[in-house]
Amino acid sequence: MAVPKRKMSRSNTNSRRSQWKAQAPALVKTVENGKVTYSLPHQAKVVTDSAGTPLFLEYKGRKVADV
Amino acid sequence: MPKPSKGARLGGGPAHERLLLNNLAAALFEHKSITTTFTKAKRLQPVAERYVTFAKRGDLAARRRMLGVITDKGIVHELFTEIAPQVAERNGGYTRITKIGNRKGDNAPMAVIELVLEPVTPKKKAAKPAAEKAAAPVAEETVEVVAEETPVVAEETTEVVAEEAAAEETK
Repeated sequence: MAVPKRKMSRSNTNSRRSQWKAQAPALVKTVENGKVTYSLPHQAKVVTDSAGTPLFLEYKGRKVADV
Repeated sequence: MPKPSKGARLGGGPAHERLLLNNLAAALFEHKSITTTFTKAKRLQPVAERYVTFAKRGDLAARRRMLGVITDKGIVHELFTEIAPQVAERNGGYTRITKIGNRKGDNAPMAVIELVLEPVTPKKKAAKPAAEKAAAPVAEETVEVVAEETPVVAEETTEVVAEEAAAEETK
């Protein structure tokens, strides 16, 4: 089995890790009843009742699936 | 004609993909709406719509072709007698895919693919009402502006005249 000849330096390790970057998701801003919400575009949203219990998934005013 | 799909086959090979898509199509025709991964839903869409087209043709040859790909006679019967009449007015676009987020176990993007069985509502032509809307407010605004301007001018002139008269009286 091939093995590394030399120990990888902390510098090289950190240089590699510096390329790990998180990308911010492109969200859609909507205002409903004066409340601003951010959501993923082109994706069904969870509809909740007043207590916050998830009821079903909805997209463009159409019920898509149960949660 | 459906666009050929890019990339590797689903499952193990071409035969496996064919079987997989036929089984998914059978499940879709049985339940009218199924939840699967987004990739499979996108691959299933052209296959399922082609089968609906066969069902709309409705003759014996089409039925026998469908029995070759969907092994359950009951589902083929349902496709030809229940689904085909409901989409008779629709020219393609028999299925709808909606993304519903990622699966918990492996974070795979999931989607719901369903048959569009609602009656067709033809789209109204958008150009004409938009043009009318654009024309109507402009006309109203011009009328209002003219109406507002004329009394103001008249008032100003009368005031000026009155002031002049008052000035003459004081002299």
